Amino acid sequence: MKKMSRRAIVQALLALPAMSLLRSRPAVANSDEIAPDEIAPGAIARDEIIEVNGWILRRSDLA
Amino acid sequence: MIFDSHEAYKQAGFKPKVCILGSGPAGTTIARKLGAAGIPVVVLEAGSREFSDQSQDFYRGTTVGDFYFDLDVTRLRFMGGSSNHWAGWCRVLDKQDFEPKAWAPDTGWPISRADIEPYLGEVHDILELPAFRPDVPISDDIRWVQLIKSPAVRFAEKFADELDRSRTIAVVLNTYATELAGDGKRVTGARLWSSGQDAGTFTADYFVTCTGGLENSRLLLWSNRRSNGGVVPNAAALGRYWMEHPTFEGGNAILANYGEFEVDASNEAFFSPTPAAMERLQIMNFGIRLIETPYPNVKRLIADLACTAPSMAEWMSDQLEQRLRCAAQLYVAWEQAPLASNHIELSKTDVDHAGVPRIELHWKKSPLERRTLLEGLRLFGTTLAQTNLGRVRIADWIGNGGDYPTNEETAGHHHMGGTRMGTDVSKSVVDANCKVHGMDNLYIGGSSVFCTSGQCNPTTTITALACRLGDHLSKVIAV
Ligand SMILES: Cc1cc2nc3c(=O)[nH]c(=O)nc-3n(C[C@H](O)[C@H](O)[C@H](O)COP(=O)(O)OP(=O)(O)OC[C@H]3O[C@@H](n4cnc5c(N)ncnc54)[C@H](O)[C@@H]3O)c2cc1C
Repeated sequence: MKKMSRRAIVQALLALPAMSLLRSRPAVANSDEIAPDEIAPGAIARDEIIEVNGWILRRSDLA
Repeated sequence: MIFDSHEAYKQAGFKPKVCILGSGPAGTTIARKLGAAGIPVVVLEAGSREFSDQSQDFYRGTTVGDFYFDLDVTRLRFMGGSSNHWAGWCRVLDKQDFEPKAWAPDTGWPISRADIEPYLGEVHDILELPAFRPDVPISDDIRWVQLIKSPAVRFAEKFADELDRSRTIAVVLNTYATELAGDGKRVTGARLWSSGQDAGTFTADYFVTCTGGLENSRLLLWSNRRSNGGVVPNAAALGRYWMEHPTFEGGNAILANYGEFEVDASNEAFFSPTPAAMERLQIMNFGIRLIETPYPNVKRLIADLACTAPSMAEWMSDQLEQRLRCAAQLYVAWEQAPLASNHIELSKTDVDHAGVPRIELHWKKSPLERRTLLEGLRLFGTTLAQTNLGRVRIADWIGNGGDYPTNEETAGHHHMGGTRMGTDVSKSVVDANCKVHGMDNLYIGGSSVFCTSGQCNPTTTITALACRLGDHLSKVIAV
């Protein structure tokens, strides 16, 4: 899938009440790592914690 | 009894043992305790029953240093004091707030939280609070903490009838104590200003100043100057170590499940660091308040996340579709490091209508606090990511070391320090019983006696300390 520009994503998000745009992206390789609802909240990640553009993320979030 | 003027009071021939200055939460609570013990007490209140611009004008002053609220806006000068518009957030200082922090000089109280705990039952009745819930750790570093939103008791409204009926308490309105006179051992009287003129000297066996967290320092600095040091004989710390709770929007959080956190009636949840985390990072206490983000801002936040972590943003979009409550703004309020340089002094150029110099407040946030803000958000963000409860984005100005914004909450209207409690007379003004060092009959009520501020709103602790002081004075007087 073609990488979208930040501006395009912002505009799409603001225009659409539902997020069909992002949902139509192909499934990511390791979805377990990025789907918090599938992991019991409170479970401690072994993933490295990183800070990118002000976000505090797990490294796997960048997948 | 409530008298609308000093003239009316004089006709009554009431003979008080104790004179309390100020009828806010501190003054009213101490008066009720003494009255209940059968001790005749007078409360001199500078303002009247209602707000007035004329009375408020006595509170004007200036601030030097960081941006702060106008001093006649951040407090109220009439019966009931600032309880007339406080928001009602309640929590007692944490146990660790009373303990010294090795990495922050001049922290630690001469009393512990256990010393005020016996009074919390009374405080709950006064402030109409349910029982406090214990903190809930969500990681080794972060705990959920409860801040109770009380009905914001207006002290004048709640207690006016009781005070009016009382035979042991006399509240005298429109009576401004401009200064105390003292001989270095005892206060000998209070100089009064009423109905726009000097109203003579008021005498009593004991005096308790409860004029608020800015005004206590002003009154005592001016009194001390006029009495050549006879009111606060050890005055090195007088007016110093003044503190607030700086409050700024620190960023946003996307939450896996907003319902995971216990929220209050306004849908807000609060988090603080564990003592171990504070010690490891050598930071001050802080409180992060989660406020639900409005829908359009959530979408912007997801768009921002999509640039960094598209997959995460995708998951987030799904969440947003399923439930709207999935993001929060993070407001951070933190404990200031107590610094002697943050202080109140008397203006050299400006006086009020009674001729008392106005306040010049010198206030600056320190580098340790800036670190507390950044590390605190990192700590919270790391906890959310590790536990998969959500993700945090820190506001750009914090990450980039930018200036504090001047269009935000700024602080809590919490005026603390200036007459702090301690054992070292060079660094404190009152002892563990709130008695001014070296004086036999002068006590101080209110948050000006706080040694450190903790992260929570002060009035619950003020009220507990006032109950304790009321009990102490009753015992001293009964002997
Ligand atoms: C907008 C706002 C929101 C707040 N929200 C909260 C909150 O949610 N939770 C919380 O814990 N705290 C809150 N506070 C702080 C809270 O209002 C104060 O901590 C509390 O009122 C302090 O009580 P006090 O009795 O020490 O002083 P004050 O309430 O300031 O009372 C002092 C009294 O002394 C009188 N006085 C002053 N000088 C003299 C004098 N020389 N002679 C005679 N009388 C004098 C004044 O008229 C006044 O009545 C808030 C404050 C503001 C302004």
